Amino acid sequence: MNLLVSYDWLKEYVGLKQTPEEFGARISLSGPSVEKIFPQGVDLDGVYVGKITKISNHPQADKLKLVDVDLGSLKPPLGKGESKGESRIVCGGSNLYEGQIVAVAVSGAKVRWHGEGDLIELQPTEIRGEKSDGMICAASEIGLGEAFPVKDDHEILDLGKEIPEMNVKPGTTLAKALGLDGDVVMDIEVTSNRPDSMGMVGIAREAAAILDVPFTYKPSDLKVPFSKGGSKGGIKLKIEAKDACSRYIGTRIDGVKVGPSPWWLKRRLLSAGIRPINNLVDITNYVMYETGQPMHVFDVDKLKSSVSSDETSPLLKEINVRYARKGEKIMALDGKVYDLPDSVLVIADAEDPIAIAGVMGGEETGSTEETVNIILEAAAFDPVVVRKGSRKLLLQSDSQLRFEKGLSQIGPESAMARAIELVKELAGGEVVGAPVDVQTKKYKPESFSITTDEVNALIGVEISKKEMIDVLKRLGFKIKDSGKKLTAEVPWWRDHDIESGRDLVEEIARIYGYGKIEAVVPTAVAPRKSDDIIVWEDRIKDLLAGAGYTELYGYSFVSKDLLAKSGFDAKDLLHVQNPLTVELEVMRSSLIPQLLEAVANNQERADTLRLFECSNVYLRKAGKKGAWTDLPDENPQCVIGYIEHKNGSPWREAKGIVEYIFDTFDIKDVKWKRVSQDDIWHPGRGVQAYKDDKLLATVGEISPKYTEAFKIESRVGAVQLELRNVINFAKTHKSYTPPMPFPESKRDLAIVVGEDVEYRDIELVILKVNDLILNVEWFDTYQGKGVAEGKKSVAMHLTIGSREKTLTSQEIDGVLEEALLAAKEKFGAELR
Amino acid sequence: MKDQLEALRLQIVKEIGGAETLEVLDELEIKYLGRKGELTSMLKGLANVSAEDRPVLGALANDVKQAGMELLEKRRAELASSKFEALADTERADMTEPGNRPPEGHLHLVTQAIREITTIFERIGFYRTRYPEVDWDWYAFESLNMPPEHPARDDWETFFMDAESSDKKKEGRMVLTPHTSNAQGHELERGEFPVRMLNIAKCYRRQSDATHAPMFHQFEGLYVDKGVNLTHLRGILDYFAEQFFGPGRVSRIRPHHFRFTEPSFEVDISCGVCGGTGKVNDVKCKLCKQGWLEIGGAGMVHPNVLIASGVDPKKYSGLAFGWGIERVAMMKEGTQLDDIRILYQNDIRFLKQF
Repeated sequence: MNLLVSYDWLKEYVGLKQTPEEFGARISLSGPSVEKIFPQGVDLDGVYVGKITKISNHPQADKLKLVDVDLGSLKPPLGKGESKGESRIVCGGSNLYEGQIVAVAVSGAKVRWHGEGDLIELQPTEIRGEKSDGMICAASEIGLGEAFPVKDDHEILDLGKEIPEMNVKPGTTLAKALGLDGDVVMDIEVTSNRPDSMGMVGIAREAAAILDVPFTYKPSDLKVPFSKGGSKGGIKLKIEAKDACSRYIGTRIDGVKVGPSPWWLKRRLLSAGIRPINNLVDITNYVMYETGQPMHVFDVDKLKSSVSSDETSPLLKEINVRYARKGEKIMALDGKVYDLPDSVLVIADAEDPIAIAGVMGGEETGSTEETVNIILEAAAFDPVVVRKGSRKLLLQSDSQLRFEKGLSQIGPESAMARAIELVKELAGGEVVGAPVDVQTKKYKPESFSITTDEVNALIGVEISKKEMIDVLKRLGFKIKDSGKKLTAEVPWWRDHDIESGRDLVEEIARIYGYGKIEAVVPTAVAPRKSDDIIVWEDRIKDLLAGAGYTELYGYSFVSKDLLAKSGFDAKDLLHVQNPLTVELEVMRSSLIPQLLEAVANNQERADTLRLFECSNVYLRKAGKKGAWTDLPDENPQCVIGYIEHKNGSPWREAKGIVEYIFDTFDIKDVKWKRVSQDDIWHPGRGVQAYKDDKLLATVGEISPKYTEAFKIESRVGAVQLELRNVINFAKTHKSYTPPMPFPESKRDLAIVVGEDVEYRDIELVILKVNDLILNVEWFDTYQGKGVAEGKKSVAMHLTIGSREKTLTSQEIDGVLEEALLAAKEKFGAELR
Repeated sequence: MKDQLEALRLQIVKEIGGAETLEVLDELEIKYLGRKGELTSMLKGLANVSAEDRPVLGALANDVKQAGMELLEKRRAELASSKFEALADTERADMTEPGNRPPEGHLHLVTQAIREITTIFERIGFYRTRYPEVDWDWYAFESLNMPPEHPARDDWETFFMDAESSDKKKEGRMVLTPHTSNAQGHELERGEFPVRMLNIAKCYRRQSDATHAPMFHQFEGLYVDKGVNLTHLRGILDYFAEQFFGPGRVSRIRPHHFRFTEPSFEVDISCGVCGGTGKVNDVKCKLCKQGWLEIGGAGMVHPNVLIASGVDPKKYSGLAFGWGIERVAMMKEGTQLDDIRILYQNDIRFLKQF
């Protein structure tokens, strides 16, 4: 969570001498991270305070006036060139009067015309024939619209009226007059465990500890005891949801006067990015930004009285912290109506919810200009209840962001005291009785121990005990020192954050400075090898990329539609219970659907597509059925696709790449069996490679039934490798066979066989005929003219040779003859 | 005989000298100087010559042969060189036309980044592990010191599976792991020390926009042994900065908050553009924040994490670090992807660029 911090404001609580840049650089290394620093008031460059000395009519225009403005010693930027510092400005302001203190923008200033559109640089100008030396600004034209709201668009900013305490000479820059000169705003990131730093005091406390400078903040003290009771001080207070609210302090103040806040308060809120509303709301926001404790203000007269109101206090109002009841609704301050589920914590009056606890107040019971009697709230709500409620309602606020990170039940005390102090000062009124304070559990600070040896062992440097104690004390811990053991009592503002002795080590180390810790690379021989699947998957990826294949990466979850389109039934697959979209819902059991999708999407981008993906798929573990009760088998697979326009049998390329993989990794004696059942594969063009009855790969073409569903225009050759089985047999080292010492001969053999005879069977038969046949290599199959119906011609190269001698051509012819005979015998083959 | 030899010499000189091609020259060599050539057959005639003439004629014959051979070689060289010279015209090609390339394959950008990170850490003794992506809550959260009410365990942050909770009570619900830290519990349970794990895997979070893909990759380094301390973490991070980003790049750590480490850090790498100064020619560096770039998280393993996996935190301590693969790949290449999800859209126009 980020916080905007005015450096000037921060200095109220801590003795800082650093420049903001130095401050930011140092703080970021030990605490909250200062992400950006930007100067205040830069938008006001070229805008000065001026005093209207004379107003006369514009000769050409009814609604415009000629206004003479005293700009003090400031030389008139343009125009008449008199040295006295009087400028003449043409102005249409509806609230002009002589003696008025106004904001004057001169040439070069950047303004937003009527508060709209882009910033425009002011140029010397003439309006209806009259020269104008600049512009008397409306608040919205110089970025102050939120600070000084107007009722009439033509009102110019009346500085004297808006900021009566302002006492500067004409010609002073407006930035200086507003106290913005020289200040910067820092955008500070605070980690989620440190809601105590979500306010000026918290940041100041960190800064004091890190920079070792004085922390000057003094919490407010009412000097009147809070009333512990539940129905004094004009409030009948009860906490029904004791589990969700550890403390509630309500203070009734009657007779307040609502109005705009003074400039100093507005200025603080604006620096923090908060829009001023009225003094009461501004005070609650101010206290939250100062102390980190969210607050709220109710209009007493809009609350329903307690049904059983007791006679001695007829105006007694009920405040009840409880969960919402069935059917309850509330209109929140954002103007929207929220249905309240019963898990949402609310603040209720005698009848209805008046606020979503810790998140946002109700519109109907908030303060308005007519408000006279109020109840101030400062409370501690359960972080989880607040977070869940806010998520359920999809409603966020600065208050909720703090509560959901865990605030202490001690925080409300000083925040309430501070708020009462400010209400009295800025809005008057009298506290009725005393603040009513109910706590549902007793607060007891926690303590943790560490030894100095533990600290030094973990940090790896020697820090003295004195330094450790000093650091912890600066952070607000109370330390008990007993030899090497230090016991630290956790300050209340850290009571959700510090959970063990280990947390104290972090406190010491970060303030000591991480940059001072030496860097030592712990080099060693790896104590074990990397996982085999990872290593082999990389080898296969390299081989495929080297062969011209491009790697795909798809999401692990896919849509039911995609699965259905490729013939997979999503029903039995593992589903995401809370998918982001229906596109990402089912854990994939195959890489093929996304391969087909990739082919479909890319088919017009290249003539040939060579694609692959290696990834886990999510299958049921063997023997599991029904509801998913066990983790899936994350099965590593590779899928390969080959698509070439005009190539009607890409299964050959698919099979070729598998053969190449098998050869490269020395996987021999593979048995090929036709795919029998899986209907994603082409019914006539699918084969599976087995070794020792383990499936290594399925190879072939994707069934046109599915490629057509994807509107793929060519056939898709594909491979699915079962990685676990493949690596079971794969080797990187190979056996060696010496080359034949005598020349080998190649002879071609073409035979005609029945079209159902499979080549691999012919090859195996011929190889067995004679040891002199070293290799059989298919090179063509032909059917058609010249070959009888129902037959096919298969042509192959035979490599024939001997280790003993060079064979004569008679011997070679003899071997060829034997091969032919065997083929005749086995398959009824005829020589072509 | 002498006249015959002289006539032959003249003939050889004339014919070889006039030969226009290497092929003709080869034929002439066979015809006159070969084993069955005219000179040889003439030499055979020496047997019939008188003994006193024989040496003279023999010498002459040799002289003719020698001269013939020399001329032959000379002419051959002349022809050869003129043949190759002619290639400049006869076979001239427009060499600005493109070459025939082999089919070009491409490893995915993520694979390439994973490789690079793996190599760097393997060199200092880390090994790669493989643990479930679909895992039990215990490993994804509970054993990592993340209490049941931690926001990451809410349905709107993490993907849960439509499955029953584990029959082992402590394991809880089935989730798609939102980080690679789930490997910590699995690895520590093995009880083998030192642990020097590098776990790179897919992770899943319920977020999809230009800078977040619902599936992404992280890497997780875990080093647990006796005496592991903060100096080692600083060392590893500096080593990575220099190895991955280049000479002169260093790391720094800033306080942060994670449940499974204490202390926890945000890791920054010094900016390569401004050299860590935050300024280029006195103008604010456009790439970094005041000289540094955030890359990820790190910390000292929380004692509760060790205890959850049965490791005694009094005996062992550890450090962990990790960040998004996609993120560091982008940072290194300076590649600005308008939308990170393009990594997982399988568009070859994108994939072929890496």
